[in-house]
Amino acid sequence: MLKRTLTSAAFVLLALTVTTAQAPVTQGMSPTKGVVIKGKAPVSDTVLKVVLPKAQHADLANGVHLIVLEDHRVPQVSIQIQMRGAGGYYDPADMPGLASITAAMVSEGTKTRTSQQIATELDRLAANAGAGTASSSETTVLSMGAMTEHLDKVLDIATDMLLNPTFPDQELARYKTRMKGNLVQQRAQPAYLAQEAYGRVVFGTHPAGRMMTAEALDKITRDAIVNFHATRYAPDYAYIGVTGDVTLADIKKRLETKLARWTKKGLPQLSVADPDAIGPARVTLIDRPGSVQTNLIVGTQMINRTSPDYDVARLADTIIGGGPSGRLFLNLREDKGYTYGAYSRMTTLRYRGDWSASAEVRTEVTEPALTEMMKEIARMRDERIPDKEFADKKRSLVASFALSLESPGAILSDYIVSYIYKLPADYWDKYPARVMAITQDQVQAVAKKYLDASRLQIVAVGDGKKIAEGLKKFGKVETFDAEGKAIRQ
Amino acid sequence: MFKGSANVGSGEHFMLVYNNGGDMNGSTNKDRTNYFERLPSNQLDLALFLESDRMRALDITKDNLQNQISTVKEERRQSVDNQAYGKTMEMFDDVAYENPNYKHSVIGSMADLDAATVEDVQGFFRTYYAPNNAALVIVGDVKPAECLAKIRQYFEVIPSQPAPPEPDMTEPAQAKEKRLTIEDPLARATRIDIGYHIPSAASPDFDALSVLSSVLSSGTSSRFTQTIVRQKQLALQTFAGPMESRGPGLFRAIGILPPGKSAGDLEAAIYEEFEKVKTGTIEDWEIEKAQNSARRSYLSGLTSSLQRAVVMSQYAVYYNDPNLINTRLDRLMAVTAADVQRVAVKYLTPENRTVVITVPKPAAATKGGE
Repeated sequence: MLKRTLTSAAFVLLALTVTTAQAPVTQGMSPTKGVVIKGKAPVSDTVLKVVLPKAQHADLANGVHLIVLEDHRVPQVSIQIQMRGAGGYYDPADMPGLASITAAMVSEGTKTRTSQQIATELDRLAANAGAGTASSSETTVLSMGAMTEHLDKVLDIATDMLLNPTFPDQELARYKTRMKGNLVQQRAQPAYLAQEAYGRVVFGTHPAGRMMTAEALDKITRDAIVNFHATRYAPDYAYIGVTGDVTLADIKKRLETKLARWTKKGLPQLSVADPDAIGPARVTLIDRPGSVQTNLIVGTQMINRTSPDYDVARLADTIIGGGPSGRLFLNLREDKGYTYGAYSRMTTLRYRGDWSASAEVRTEVTEPALTEMMKEIARMRDERIPDKEFADKKRSLVASFALSLESPGAILSDYIVSYIYKLPADYWDKYPARVMAITQDQVQAVAKKYLDASRLQIVAVGDGKKIAEGLKKFGKVETFDAEGKAIRQ
Repeated sequence: MFKGSANVGSGEHFMLVYNNGGDMNGSTNKDRTNYFERLPSNQLDLALFLESDRMRALDITKDNLQNQISTVKEERRQSVDNQAYGKTMEMFDDVAYENPNYKHSVIGSMADLDAATVEDVQGFFRTYYAPNNAALVIVGDVKPAECLAKIRQYFEVIPSQPAPPEPDMTEPAQAKEKRLTIEDPLARATRIDIGYHIPSAASPDFDALSVLSSVLSSGTSSRFTQTIVRQKQLALQTFAGPMESRGPGLFRAIGILPPGKSAGDLEAAIYEEFEKVKTGTIEDWEIEKAQNSARRSYLSGLTSSLQRAVVMSQYAVYYNDPNLINTRLDRLMAVTAADVQRVAVKYLTPENRTVVITVPKPAAATKGGE
C-alpha cells in the first residue's frame, strides 16, 4: 500500500534483510537467558525492497522552514509548528513552568474567540489544535490535525491561537486550580514519583530534571505569560512539519496567508548547556508505604543527538533493553519471573541526555532484581556480545525501521531530526548500512565509556520498611517521602 | 503462550518476531483473547509457522506454567494492586453484574492464579484455542490467493475440537440501586464510578449510547468538561461512555474529585447532566461532533494494518461479521438526537445503576521533614 502510493516521490531502495544463517542452535546453548532456540521456524533471507518516502522542503516568506511529507491514503492532515526558543528549557529560573502554562493557555481564548468557542468548533469538526512543551524541551509545539475538508477552518483557529491569544484572568485562575489538583493526584502514581526523583538525581538543577510544583504555579502571573508569548512565540527559529493529504504548494500557500503577520522578532541566538557532570553513584529511595511492587530505575547521563556514538549507543540500548527480546526482559521476566516487563531507553537532545533501565518488581525481590539489572549493565561493559545475538539485534533495528515507514508521522519525525540537527541529506537512506557496519567492539567500548558503575544512579519507589535494608548493598541510601521531602535516617 | 510449542523453543516466538523487526502481543478481555504480530511482508511464512505451531502443539508444562503464573501475578501487581483505583475496576464489575462470566475479574485473583493446574490450562487450551473457535485475519502487502494457500498449508492439519458450550450472556434486570464505598490506601483523591446496565454492543442502542458518550464527555467542549470540570470545578477528570461487550454491557461514568470538594455534589452534578440530556435539547453541533469523530477515527484506523486486523478479527469472533468494519460507521451516522434521548431515558435510571465511591485511606506513612 505504502509502496504503491509513494512511487512518484524520488526514492532510494534499502536492502533491509540481512542474510543470517539459521543453523539450528542446540537446545540449552542459547546465548541469552530465558530463551530456547530450536531453529526450525522458516525465516526469510530474501532482500526486502522498501522505498523510503522523501520529504519535501521549502521556506515560507517569513523565513520559517517547511517540511512536508505527502500521504494521500486517507483524507487527513497533521501540522506541527515548532517554535524553538519557546520551550520549557527557556523558563526563567524563578518561574519554572511558565512555558508550559503559556502553551496550555493559548487554547483559552483569542481576540475573537472564547475558550468555549474554540473547544466547540474544534470538537464539532473532530479536529485538534493545541500547544505544548516540556521542561526539558527547547521548543513549544503548536500542533493540529483535521480531516482535509476542514483544513482551512482548523488552520484558522490554530493560527489565531498562535497570533492572538488573550490569556483571560478567569481561565488562568481555573487552569491553576485544576493543575494543583492534578499535581496532588499525580503523587498517587509510583511511576510519577520515580520519574521525579530520577530527574533530580541525574540532571540536578538542569531544566531536564525540573518538575512543576504548586509553589511555582503560584508565582506565574498573567503579565509573565503575556510577555513570554510576545517575545518567544517567534518565527525566528521556528519550523513546520506537515504530513497527510496535501501538496507542498497548497499547504505553503495556506500557511503563508494565515501567518502573513507572523514576522521575526529578533530573538537572540539560542544556545543550550549540558547538565552538570553527574555525581557519584547514589541510591535514592522514595518511601511509598503499602506498595506491593518497587519501581526501579537505574540510569546515568549519556550523549546528545549529534554525538558520533549515537548509532552505537542506540544499538547497545536495543541489546540490553529494547523490548521483549532485550536482555533485561529475558532475564528479569522470562528467566526469573520478577516482573511483568523490564526495558531500557535513551533520550538524546541538543544537550547531553540520559540512558536508563527500569522495571516494576514485586517488593520481595527488589534486591535480587536490582542485582540482575546491575549485572546486565556490567555484562554490556565486560563481555563481548555473542555473534548471533549481535547479528539478530542489528537486523532487528534495521527491519523495525522498515516497518515504521507505515506511519507517515514516524517518517516525518525522522526528517525533522535530520533537519534540526543538520544531519546529512542522505542520513536516513544510509541508516541501515551504518547500523550493519557497527562492530561488537564498538558497542562494548560505548558501554564502558557511558555505563560506568561509579556514575549509575539508582532510584527505587516502594515500601521503605521492606526494601531499605536490601538497597544498602548498592550504596548509601537517601530516603524521601512521597511528597519529595527528605527523611532523616 | 510464548513459552514454546513442538517446533518453537521457549521465548523463541518473540525473539524471532522482534529480531526480524516486528512486534507482537496478545490481550484478553471478558469476551475474547487475541494474539497478533506485525512483521515485514517477506516474513509471512514465519508468522504462519509460529501461530500454527502453537495452536497445534503448545508446550504446557509445569515449569512453563509456574513461570507464567509469576509473570501474570506481576502484571496484576503492576496494573491493579500497586495502582490507585486498581481495585475499583474489579470491585465495580463484581458489584454491578450478577452473571458470573462478567462479574469476575479477567486477570483473576492471586488465589485463582495459584489454583491453576497444568490440566486446567491444557483443557482450556484444547477447547478454546481450537481452529474451529478462532478467526485469523491478515492485512498487508500479500497476494490473497498465495496467502490463502499458505494458511491452508499451515493450519488445515490442526484438528477441530468439539465446540465449546455457548456462554451465558444474560443479565437479570436490576430492580434497585447498588452502592458501595471502598477505601484505597494508594489513592489521593476521591473517585466516583457509576454504571448502568446496557445491552450488547451488537444492539442498535449501543450506537446511540456511543453518541451520548460524545455529547457528555468527549473533548473540551463536552458537557462534563465544560460544566463539571471547568464551571463548577467539581472534578479533575471525567468520563462517560459505553463499554463494548459481546454480552451484557455497562454505560460507565467516572469523576475524580479535586481537593476540598464534596463527593455528593459531584455525584449530583453528574445526574443533573444526565437529566439535561433526557429532557433538554441536544444541539445539532453535538450530533455533528459525534459523526465527525466517528469518521475521523475510522479514517485513522485505516492507516494501520494492525488496527484493521484487530478490529476485523474481533467482529468475526463476536458477530461472525468481519465486514462490520465497513458498515459500523453508517450505523453511527444514522443516530439522531431523539435516539440519544431515548437511550438516556431508557438506561440512565436510578434503579438500573451501580455506584462505587473510592475514598483515599492514607497508610501509616513515615513522616517527612528535616
